Amino acid sequence: MNILSDIRYWFASLLRVWVREFRLVFGDAGVILFFFALPLIYPVVYTLIYNPEVIRDLPVAVVDHSRTAESRHLARMIDATDALEVYQYCPDIPAARRLSNEKKVFGIVEIPSDYARKIGRGEQAQITYYADVSLLLRYRSALGALTDIQIELGNQIRGQKVESAGLVLQSMDGVPVNSESVFIGDPTQGFASFIIPGIIVLILQQSMILGITMIAGGVSERRRRNRGYDPLAIEAPASAALIGKTLCYLVCYIPMTLYVLHLVPLMFSLPHVGNVWQYLVFIMPMLIATAMLGQCLGVFVTEREASMLVVVFTSVVFLFLSGLTWPRYAMSPFWTLVGDFIPATWGVEGFIRLSCNGASLADEATPYKMLWMLSAIYFVVAWVLRRVSFGRHRVKTLRPGSKN
Amino acid sequence: MLKALRQALGYGWRYLCSRKIYFVCCTVVPMLFAFFFIDLMKEGLPLKVPVSVVDLDRSSLSRRVVRNLGSTELIDVAHSDENFNQALDRVRKGETFGFFIIPRDFQRNAISGQGTTITYYSDLTVFVPGSLAYKGFKTVAVTTAGGVVQTTLTTAGVNEQVAGTLLQPVVIGEQPVGNPWLNYSIYLCNSFIPGVIALMVMLLACYTICDEIKKGTSPEWIRISGGSVLVAVVGKLLPQTLVFSAIGVFLQAVMYRFCGFPLHCSPWNMVFAMILLVIGSQGLALTICCVIPNLRLSLSMTSLVGILSFSIAAYSFPVQSMYGAIGIFSYILPARYYFLIYADQALNGIPLYYSRLYYIALLIFPLVGMAGLPRLKKHCLNPVYVP
Repeated sequence: MNILSDIRYWFASLLRVWVREFRLVFGDAGVILFFFALPLIYPVVYTLIYNPEVIRDLPVAVVDHSRTAESRHLARMIDATDALEVYQYCPDIPAARRLSNEKKVFGIVEIPSDYARKIGRGEQAQITYYADVSLLLRYRSALGALTDIQIELGNQIRGQKVESAGLVLQSMDGVPVNSESVFIGDPTQGFASFIIPGIIVLILQQSMILGITMIAGGVSERRRRNRGYDPLAIEAPASAALIGKTLCYLVCYIPMTLYVLHLVPLMFSLPHVGNVWQYLVFIMPMLIATAMLGQCLGVFVTEREASMLVVVFTSVVFLFLSGLTWPRYAMSPFWTLVGDFIPATWGVEGFIRLSCNGASLADEATPYKMLWMLSAIYFVVAWVLRRVSFGRHRVKTLRPGSKN
Repeated sequence: MLKALRQALGYGWRYLCSRKIYFVCCTVVPMLFAFFFIDLMKEGLPLKVPVSVVDLDRSSLSRRVVRNLGSTELIDVAHSDENFNQALDRVRKGETFGFFIIPRDFQRNAISGQGTTITYYSDLTVFVPGSLAYKGFKTVAVTTAGGVVQTTLTTAGVNEQVAGTLLQPVVIGEQPVGNPWLNYSIYLCNSFIPGVIALMVMLLACYTICDEIKKGTSPEWIRISGGSVLVAVVGKLLPQTLVFSAIGVFLQAVMYRFCGFPLHCSPWNMVFAMILLVIGSQGLALTICCVIPNLRLSLSMTSLVGILSFSIAAYSFPVQSMYGAIGIFSYILPARYYFLIYADQALNGIPLYYSRLYYIALLIFPLVGMAGLPRLKKHCLNPVYVP
């Protein structure tokens, strides 16, 4: 009988916490900003920044010491690529460097004076491309274009040579071994298509943590004002309070998740081949783990705004820990372990493969299980922290139903 | 005036020391972040990308290709798969970042000249390993094709030397100036570490100014500073400038001395850039505080600007390729100018003349902030906290 009433009490207080938490969320403009405005606006802003996807017509200078039909042909080929554009012919390297210093060009092609002669003699001609590497993306796109030119030009010259030598080779009609490259996950090699699927998952986590720590800051400000108890708190067992709050955050985040993970990629036609139910099911434990993590951190927050000072910069850390930029296989065991404890690490990893590579939930079993494990770990930690820090104030809590 | 300034400075310094979180923000966070970043990418490039190979031919030639793949430093042939689906499943599970398919009858068709096609798949959901896998695959595919051509030509009676040059009649050699190793640590630490310093400078400046208004202590703050809001702000921000600049210069020393990142200019150029970055970021934060003198709103705004600056300041995707209406915002970010100075001075080592405008731009930020001071003063004297 006693147990039954305990259980009933547990559920009743869970329900009350859940309802009260809604009041706290919707009564606070700051929390609304983090829970709703931020996930609504940030993904769009981020995608707009990166939406041009690739670098087109990167201006380069050509220093042509050869001044022959062959060298001009090469310059035309460079100009004709998608990635590069011949900004100007320069008489010598210092002139080209001046252009580069003025940020008019981001690369210099130097064609040596013996370029045409070497081709005519059947020797190997060397061309040099001096690249500005302040941004590796620029270098990458130039490199791709130049490699294609090198192969194409090689095929052209070889074809002519073989023909003029009077050789009739069956295999020389084409190249005997062709190669075909396919990019999966991000077929256009676009930057937005690569980074946004990861960033949107991170936005979900960070906005939720910011919102929850702000609520916690409000709680501790009220407790300070009221000599140790929070008039808006509901008396409830720690576990019921944690789960009740988490349920509230989940309900708030279900529409946001649908928008962020489904509508945003659709709006900008980012790679999005997965099944919507699968990644919603997948992201659920990440939201739970994040809610629990937020409640762990909330215990340490003493002021509504103070959390922002520390939480904001962690977004950059978490982005790198997730392995989106620097892959996780190349991290040291220590950083891999640190990353393991961040819900977004697994969320990003699983979501990009579900959404971009068309993986199934079964393929993502490891991240999925890890997210549930993190939910459990952070629940226990939050429970302990709550007992330790709020425990002594429980007697002081006002009777349920009283107002501030 | 001098007395007021001294009082204001003392007040600002005591304020900065009054809470642990301020100390954490201006020393622990930048140091920890720098340590994280430098240690995370200490290898420079994530070489040995795990990939798999699908050899459907199993001939002597195809085995040679597989051996060539294995000998590339870029990739690590971690698995050998039976078919396409198995290899794709591995990518979906995240075990590999691409795979290389050698078709059936590869050797026969290649030697007999009927033509055959090697296909390689690179997973670009993670850009860097995907790109490295692609580069490794492409090199092996091209050299394989070259090897077959060479064999065919020599058997047709072409001189071996001529056949050799015919493989690659033209070679385009790339010279990445300043960072020839394409080291990711050099590339990212130089932009993200100052970026985080700028972010923390802005957050702390904004917090410490608006906190006075929230707590209602701002009239007292102005009074101590002799009634001048300029003195008050200088008194409050100058201690932070000193601490952040010291940390920033220390981290530069770590990067350029300890880690040996390229520094092709006088160290003073970068030291000044760092100090100006701190001052410029404080100027921007001050501007935001003057426009919205409310702790929560201005701090949210500062966080928004600070976090977006990692993207809009174009540390990875160039401003020139962004939409004009977006790219224009990069010019209101101090971090952007610091990045441009770094690229010019430390990385490329070009004459200081070309970077002059960036230094000046950083100096304009505090001036803009000062223009809003009368408004800030009005709010400081009548503090209203809207929760």
